[in-house]
Amino acid sequence: MIGYVPGHSLLHRAHPYTTLALAGALLLGAFALTRPLEVWLLVVAAAAFAVAGGVLRASARPALLLSLPIWVLLFVLHGLLGADPRMTVGPVSLSVPGIARALVLGGRLTAIVLGFLTALATASPHRLVEAMTAGGVPFGRTFLLASTLTVLPRMRERTTQILEAQQCRGLRLGGSPLARLRALVPLALPLVLGALAEVDEQVLALDARGAAGGVRRTALDPPRDSALQRALRWTLLALVVAAYAWKFWSMRG
Amino acid sequence: MTLRDLVLVRLGVAINLVIGQIVAALLLPIFLDSVGTILVAALVGPRAAIAVGLVSQVLNAVISGNFSWLPFALVQVVIALYAAAAARLGLFRRFATAVPAGIGMGLLAAACSAPIAYFLFGGVTAGGVTVVTTVLRALGAPLAVAVASASFATDLLDKAISCALVSALLGSLPRTLAARFPALAR
Repeated sequence: MIGYVPGHSLLHRAHPYTTLALAGALLLGAFALTRPLEVWLLVVAAAAFAVAGGVLRASARPALLLSLPIWVLLFVLHGLLGADPRMTVGPVSLSVPGIARALVLGGRLTAIVLGFLTALATASPHRLVEAMTAGGVPFGRTFLLASTLTVLPRMRERTTQILEAQQCRGLRLGGSPLARLRALVPLALPLVLGALAEVDEQVLALDARGAAGGVRRTALDPPRDSALQRALRWTLLALVVAAYAWKFWSMRG
Repeated sequence: MTLRDLVLVRLGVAINLVIGQIVAALLLPIFLDSVGTILVAALVGPRAAIAVGLVSQVLNAVISGNFSWLPFALVQVVIALYAAAAARLGLFRRFATAVPAGIGMGLLAAACSAPIAYFLFGGVTAGGVTVVTTVLRALGAPLAVAVASASFATDLLDKAISCALVSALLGSLPRTLAARFPALAR
């Protein structure tokens, strides 16, 4: 969908934890806010976040592509099929509370998607791994996040090869749902069994690279952190806690 | 977690994400996005399976760009714990016990995912589930009932097929390969 976009913006130069904290605050904040105006102010904040990263165009397009089908479904499910009271717009009868709910849910989704796509575009995976290593995060966690993304294209390529090989042997992918379900087994079995057979080989390779033993690794080029960025991260945490406290307090009232 | 567990977790995550590609190629109305989680639960245990579920959810968000689905990570944790318990009871050894175990897993997964879908997303989570929800709502069902019915219908089918597939995978493991996973012998 979108990956890292090289650049020299404020967000590109920021510590990756700061960028992720901003995206995380947008995610948590989106679920804490319940009124259309509040949620759409959060969308504006997400757009400002993208502008600060110089990636508004790069992240807004996929964010819209992802959000648009959800907006359509929200409009149908809540706007058209929602509860009374209703208002008439031209030939269409719309639910008033349904439209308000659709605006909250659609805005929530847009803010979250835009925020995280901006984080993906501005936080380099390499710098993130270096930051995690410098922060003393165990090797296993960095390995899982960074390495799984590299193994996926290989598995996908193997899936395509198995698919073509089985089709050469007469496997049919069409027909009834039951027939298509039966075709799943000859495709999934060789893929998974082949991958399981390689597990020990991969363990040996990792062991040879000194991955075992829990020794703290040294980051070669850790990103710079600053007191200001640390303060910003704590402030974001405090804001999220305050937003939830306000939400629950107003629900009680 | 040992190095072996780490490699298996990575494999489980890749299976979760790639099986989805096969399902899409076959145009099946299911997700099968937990096969890797269930398989690792059976091969290693709950801790590694929980890691598979959580990392899958994060990476799925990274790849698709849709980070709003992150709250569904809770469902992956529940699936991992249930699958580990079912594997310990030996329910994946035979097809006849794997399918009912999958139905139980589907009930549990739907009981967790339906409230998330209803309260956080108003029933709109994209994909086939929302289409079923919309049809039920158009037929006059209250939104909460429509969301719950759609979640239960899709999760029961999805998890029953996932567990049957894992049972087929474990049954096809060559003896030399199966011997490398002591949890299978329990």
